[in-house]
Amino acid sequence: MSFRQARWDEPPVWELDPRGGSEPAPSIPGVPDRWRRKAGLRWPELSELEVLRHYTRLSQMNFGIETTTYPLGSCTMKYNPRIGEVLARRRTAAELHPEQPIETVQGALEVIWRLERLLAKVTGLSEVSLQPAAGAHGEYAALLMIRAYFRDRGELDRRTEVLLPDTAHGTNPASAAMAGFTTRELPSKDGCVDLDELRAALSERTACFMLTNPNTAGLFESDILEIAKSVHGAGGMLYYDGANLNAILGVTNPGRMGFDVAHLNLHKTFATPHGGGGPGAGVLAANETLAPYLPVPRVQKVGRNFRWDYDRPSSIGKIRGGPGSFGLDLRAYAFALVHGEEGLKHVARRAVLNSNYVAARLGKRLERPFRPLVKHEFVLSGARLKERGVRTLDLAKRPAPA
Amino acid sequence: MVRWIPDTEKEEAEMLASLGLANADELFADVPRKARVGRMGIGASHTEAEAARAIDKILERNRPYSKFANFLGGRVATRYLPAAVDSILQRSEFYTSYTPYQPEASQGMLQALFEFQSLWVELTGMDVANASLYDGATASGEAMLLCRRQQDGRRFLVPTSLPWEERSVLENYATGPGLTVAGIPTDPKSGGIDLDWVRREVVRGDVFGVLADVPNGFGHLDGGLLDLRAAIGSLPLVVRADPLALSVLEPPGSYGADIVVGDGQSFGIPPSYGGPMVGLFACRKEFVRHSPGRIVGATHDHEGRRAYTLTLQTREQHIRRSRATSNICTNQSLIALAFVLYATLVGPRGLAELQRSLAERARSIAGALAPIDGLQAPRFDSPYLAEFTVELSRGTAAEFLDRMRRRGILAGHSLADPRPTSPRGPERILLAATESTDDRAIQKLATAARTIVPALGGGA
Repeated sequence: MSFRQARWDEPPVWELDPRGGSEPAPSIPGVPDRWRRKAGLRWPELSELEVLRHYTRLSQMNFGIETTTYPLGSCTMKYNPRIGEVLARRRTAAELHPEQPIETVQGALEVIWRLERLLAKVTGLSEVSLQPAAGAHGEYAALLMIRAYFRDRGELDRRTEVLLPDTAHGTNPASAAMAGFTTRELPSKDGCVDLDELRAALSERTACFMLTNPNTAGLFESDILEIAKSVHGAGGMLYYDGANLNAILGVTNPGRMGFDVAHLNLHKTFATPHGGGGPGAGVLAANETLAPYLPVPRVQKVGRNFRWDYDRPSSIGKIRGGPGSFGLDLRAYAFALVHGEEGLKHVARRAVLNSNYVAARLGKRLERPFRPLVKHEFVLSGARLKERGVRTLDLAKRPAPA
Repeated sequence: MVRWIPDTEKEEAEMLASLGLANADELFADVPRKARVGRMGIGASHTEAEAARAIDKILERNRPYSKFANFLGGRVATRYLPAAVDSILQRSEFYTSYTPYQPEASQGMLQALFEFQSLWVELTGMDVANASLYDGATASGEAMLLCRRQQDGRRFLVPTSLPWEERSVLENYATGPGLTVAGIPTDPKSGGIDLDWVRREVVRGDVFGVLADVPNGFGHLDGGLLDLRAAIGSLPLVVRADPLALSVLEPPGSYGADIVVGDGQSFGIPPSYGGPMVGLFACRKEFVRHSPGRIVGATHDHEGRRAYTLTLQTREQHIRRSRATSNICTNQSLIALAFVLYATLVGPRGLAELQRSLAERARSIAGALAPIDGLQAPRFDSPYLAEFTVELSRGTAAEFLDRMRRRGILAGHSLADPRPTSPRGPERILLAATESTDDRAIQKLATAARTIVPALGGGA
């Protein structure tokens, strides 16, 4: 199969009407003239059809999951079911202002409440917040929660260090630094956490160890229970980066593995579209110790009805405007509801089977640096290609159109 | 069987056999027994039809704002969206695509994002915009951190009128680096910032930046903002601006802003109960190397044709890790596309005309409410565009809004911080004109207010 994207010679939109919009802004009753935009706004004046043609052409110069395979592991590029798009566009979902009276948004709160409970079960943690706008945003919020927790225990002055494996996604150290921690990256052994290195690094200064499991090399960290024991033994918190949860749905979960707090990405595991780099939707899940620190407000069920609870004195407060990305929560809820228990397990099983199958096939031609059993993704080395004058980059770029 | 996964049981067996595995469980042999779970307990699967019915039934418990006389505003707008916006957003080449790290497969999205950035630059009078942040509140937080990289100090000044949520978000961004967010007192007459106070604080020292918003948290235009640059000398200045307002107002770059942030939801997507949103971020070029988020640049490919790619990536987390300018990775690309689509479909003249007409309607609302005792409309004497603040002198905002709702009116929202630990302030409500605000809606609001306000707080 060969695929060629369109290559339109499409100019930037302003070149379609270079003289557009050059007049000064109208005056507005009651607004002093010194506020008025004197230079006008330079932007094209186009007909609807001209605009549609322009952006249709741009779309044809783009590569999406419905165009062809998008073999990215960590970001779990999966089919985004159309029913989610349809439901999110219902007037009863889209035409809701976040400041509407609570009596008029009971359905929205019910979806949020149901999805939170479902994700609590999926993660094995006690409470869930859907406020984060993305995975990194969830990491950051979780680290602020950990900070607040140690502050309340009077340990913040000494627990200043966040540990992570050198394979960690870049957002992990960046989030830790933004939350005011110093970071220390630990060398991996055979693609996984080296327990000895971890034990040597843990101390009374450790606030948290951040881990993705399966990790970014696609390997399950089989020492996870010992890792959890060691981190907790040193008085630190264990953070789960949920980027790769897709691979272990229903097999194990962060709570069972000993994690205290986790973030998930609804745009990965729960199939909300990536949108060319966003919007994503982050989920925060916490055990009983850290749950009081979750952002406000928290959804609460009272009889048949729902309300927002702001009475959370330990909460870190707000991490964004509004209650969360409801339009995406709805898509994720539809995905989970259709799949159910068996479907979500099937998702993990198939992802892991496909990945191992492809890895085994390609492994006949290319070197595989780590152990053969992988989860949702795997690493190949281009070392053997080099002998023939081919770079890894050449292979990586080959599936894309020439 | 859910048809979202190919139904290939036979192939599954063959694939397992080729891997030398007896069954699918062996794929998870690396997960220790003690870490396994039996059931998640999330219930059985459903057909798509069953799920759609179940979710629709829940959604029926919502009452969309379009069923009311609607005066809700603030940072989220209930605007009419031309049908063409969504028809482009639904093109799966856009909405199902990944982050454009591979420019050869992402020219369409990259060009659209470059256009989005250029539009925000044009609206703000800045030099460079990024490809979006989460929302206006987080963009303000990132702007504050950028100020700190440009200027030493511990204190960041913001108007006391800033919505409580945004203040809370800023305080969270301040926590890590140990910064303090300080409120600039509000002038009781105009609702604007007290410039003398700002001048004194700047002289006192330790201030690394100032943020002000247009319109401000009361919906008004604060003349103090136009004189703020002179008051703070060379300190970094962040302006948080509404994009529609900037279609008719001077760009903040012309009165000394270094960074301009905003919420872009009003251009192109429905409120969806608060998300997804899009955060707008632009700055002067001297700031760009310390700025957060992805930036798309225009360049040429190996054949000399115009091409687009992510640029200045060494600022970002995937390269700079703990020393990155921000942790942001996933942003709001698709909503950024909606933003540029909306603005281009409406056009510069259409945007200015929309803002003018909303401002006229807002004046009509204020005019209709002004004669009512017990309610000051508007509360402040400064100019305003599409929204303004009213203050009740009896009863509570909650009681007022609840009685309005019972009459089919969403009469704006309370500006109070709902957290029980927060001190009680004046009973203030932000009211906005929308495109659905016609004379009938205004009369309905005024008639209801004439009945409701005198009865508030157990009054007659």
